[in-house]
Amino acid sequence: MNPSDLTAILPELVLVLAGAIVVLADAFAPGLRPRFGVFAGLSAAGALALRWTGPLPGAVWSGALAVDPLARFVDTYVLAALLLVAVMADPYLKRTKARYGEFYGLLLWSAVGAMTLAKADSLVVVFVGLELLSITLYVLNAFHRDSAISLEAGWKYLVVGAFASALLLFGIALLYGATGTFSLRAVAQVVGSRPLAGNPLLLAGLALLLAGFAFKLALVPFHAWAPDVYQGSPTPVTAFLSVVPKGVVLVALARAVASVAPQAITPRWVPLLAAVAIASQVLGNLVAISQRDIKRMLAYSGIAHMGYALVGVVAFGLDGIAGALVYLAAYTFMNIAAFAVVSAFSENEDEPHLINDLAGQGWQRPFLSFALSISMFSLAGIPPTVGFVAKFLVFRAAVNEGMAWLAIVGVMNSLVSVFFYVRVVYYLYMKPLPRRAPDYSEPWPVRIVAGVCALAIVILGMFPALVLGAGELAARTLLR
Amino acid sequence: MPTDSLLSATILTPGLVGLLLLATPREAVRLHRWAGLAASLLALGFAATAWARFDPANAAFQFVEARQWLPSVGIGYRLGMDGISLVLVLLTALLQPIVFISSWHQIHEKVKGYVVCMLLLETGILGAFLATDLFLFYVFWELMLVPMYFIIGVWGGERRIYAAVKFVLFTLAGSLLMLVAIIYLSFAYHAQAGTWSFAYEDMLKLSVPMGQGFWHSPQMLLFAGFAMAFAIKIPVFPLHTWLPDAHTEAPTGGSIILAGVLLKLGTYGLLRFNRPLFPQAWAAATPLFLTLAVIGIIYGALVAWAQRDMKKLVAYSSVTHMGFIVLGLFAGTLASTQGALIQMINHGLSTGALFLLVGVIYDRRHTRLIEDFGGLAAVMPLYTGAFLLATFASIGLPGLNGFVGEFLILTGSFARYPAAVVLAATGIVLGAVYMLSLIQRVFWNAISQPENRTLADLTWQEALAFAPLGILMVWIGVHPGTFLSLSETAVRRLIGG
Repeated sequence: MNPSDLTAILPELVLVLAGAIVVLADAFAPGLRPRFGVFAGLSAAGALALRWTGPLPGAVWSGALAVDPLARFVDTYVLAALLLVAVMADPYLKRTKARYGEFYGLLLWSAVGAMTLAKADSLVVVFVGLELLSITLYVLNAFHRDSAISLEAGWKYLVVGAFASALLLFGIALLYGATGTFSLRAVAQVVGSRPLAGNPLLLAGLALLLAGFAFKLALVPFHAWAPDVYQGSPTPVTAFLSVVPKGVVLVALARAVASVAPQAITPRWVPLLAAVAIASQVLGNLVAISQRDIKRMLAYSGIAHMGYALVGVVAFGLDGIAGALVYLAAYTFMNIAAFAVVSAFSENEDEPHLINDLAGQGWQRPFLSFALSISMFSLAGIPPTVGFVAKFLVFRAAVNEGMAWLAIVGVMNSLVSVFFYVRVVYYLYMKPLPRRAPDYSEPWPVRIVAGVCALAIVILGMFPALVLGAGELAARTLLR
Repeated sequence: MPTDSLLSATILTPGLVGLLLLATPREAVRLHRWAGLAASLLALGFAATAWARFDPANAAFQFVEARQWLPSVGIGYRLGMDGISLVLVLLTALLQPIVFISSWHQIHEKVKGYVVCMLLLETGILGAFLATDLFLFYVFWELMLVPMYFIIGVWGGERRIYAAVKFVLFTLAGSLLMLVAIIYLSFAYHAQAGTWSFAYEDMLKLSVPMGQGFWHSPQMLLFAGFAMAFAIKIPVFPLHTWLPDAHTEAPTGGSIILAGVLLKLGTYGLLRFNRPLFPQAWAAATPLFLTLAVIGIIYGALVAWAQRDMKKLVAYSSVTHMGFIVLGLFAGTLASTQGALIQMINHGLSTGALFLLVGVIYDRRHTRLIEDFGGLAAVMPLYTGAFLLATFASIGLPGLNGFVGEFLILTGSFARYPAAVVLAATGIVLGAVYMLSLIQRVFWNAISQPENRTLADLTWQEALAFAPLGILMVWIGVHPGTFLSLSETAVRRLIGG
């Protein structure tokens, strides 16, 4: 083992350690519980600083991990999400009387799993990273031990997640059988050297790998778990769950696509991914229209958004991958802003978070409502928000690759989606306050998170070069 | 003020003031009203400065600004002004302060939100007229959507939600396809030139292949992508159904901006983008658009005639007027195009004035039904005079602005499309019929309802809001050359004549 191997994963080590400290402190110094959120946030910020000041050596740990600009891009967004979620979680946990160190410990370790997955250059590490990410999230979903819907969410995510892991593992086994290696690079060489058509083992392995990823991304037809899990999980966990696993799995998928040389299997690969992308967009947007619970609506909207982001992966190339990465960054800010506001605009966690209950809040609680509106307009893809820029980039990639039809399907779906996103704004500003005005709190950490996200949505929307440049740099490492 | 940021200053001043106002307490209503008025007057000042320094002999874009935005994609922050955008920017900058003055005593609730929305809307409109980068144009184009949604949905009439959602969905349905067309255009430019660009000037150099049939012709498809967005905005006949709802339900200020300027973005877009970028497709689509324009002229006039609600009547008259503008654009001669352009201004002035005046009476009586009025001339002489002036301008009485526009459009089109002109001319007659019958029923007859005996005449604020519109109606009617000369070289360049 090289010393450089250790310095390359220093941010992960910091988070593992910080998670252990929080869990131990909860047991031995419970008086510190109100400070855990700050501590977790600081650890995330520290890890972020380490990632940006540390080296990017490329392949480390004998090629098992790739610490490259792509990894740094993904780490940045995982850690930003972690930081924002840690800040918004504290008032929520206090309100729901669940302020325990385990929450932050699991959250930090979950981020480590995500960061590992995003760097994985070996199929075994892909699996390890995914399991660390998933198992911690199973517990977090069910963190409200007394709440039936929270337990249901955890249970559902566990069953479905285990199923997905099994598919993935089987796919990895088949790929190993077909190629004799776990390394994605080596798989790429094997794939490049022989025709795929006559190799059912390899094709089946790839298909299972794709299915396993699609489960985690909640892509159609592997999406059915998402609404219940989103609805039942504690809202800060939903925020984390809705962006971090999806983002890193999409990057893992992009790494896999890059290494199995898409041009070699294009006739099969592109229509398959495109079909999944379109089906996710159509189903996600259409079903979201009929949702009355905002968390369920955001679950279906998330299915649709992964469909849009997948368009970037389908188009591939510098434009496509950079577009998909920008999409992930945009999606992170939009979703966390939305869930942060939802976590505040709720009285009782066992009750559904009805969109109706937002009526009139726009004039009652202008700050959070404004942030939620910006998030909704961004999700709908209306300029000058980063959501528009992201959609523009992936659709542009599709057009440039000669798939204008994919872009047209995408914009048609955006049109449908405007209907339910704008409905949230309609309830906020155009519906009168109900006679019994709900008693929502506006804790300042939530205000900060929502404000930062809303600001990021608008600033990145006006100056997209800030994130596109990093996305292009990251995408280049994939197209080596 | 250095030369190269004059246009940015014009565009961004209202929007930035709007954003600053967000941070002020909502009780500071006086501050909001005055800040809104000041910001829009500042924008008017910048626009007037541009007018003073504008060189009408130069067909190219002036006061050009070009900054990098997304260089790897070929997107730039590019602004420029030619004669066409100048007159439309002047119209926009003029109408906005009028909106603030007219809503001074009309909007009492959520004043801050109203002012902020109006200022952001103005930034979007000015930006769309001045953008010379297709991506930037699209951003400004969509930027108008959200404020307008709020203006209709929050401060509108009874069916405001329906109208607001319909407005958003119609507009987006068109503009999203335009987005794909814009992306494809840049892709086509890359295929021919080897570099990425979204710059308008670059697209002018591009010749998009015409191909065979509709579905295999890139030029036809791109033309359709752009034209759909613009035809919905204008609105051209079968796509007009959002307009009566939006116009009628919007508050007075919203209606003035909507009819006065937003609709012009559609005709502006046709002239700016469809005409020079897709000349063959333009020629192929001309019969279709002329037919739709003529149908719109007659249909709009007939439906307007049947209305009992004054605001709805004015809204449907917009369909007629916009039909004339489309006719002038597609007839394609210098005279008809110039006529279409001046008619855009005229329609902004006269319809803006009519909405303003209908709003005045609605404020006093809370009804807009024609049958609730009668004999107002005796009670409100000043108001009657203003309404008559706006009506005469609208129906094209010689000596006022409407005559100039309609005359240029019809004479310019006659040589090429006599049948369309003859049919369109019946629209003028119908226009006189429904507007004059409106005048008769509202102002002449005897006073039928006792409430109407005590109506107050125009206040000084209402008169102040109307005055610039009235002056310009006469000015353009008597000396249209002031404005026609500004745009002539630019129009020549676009229509290649």
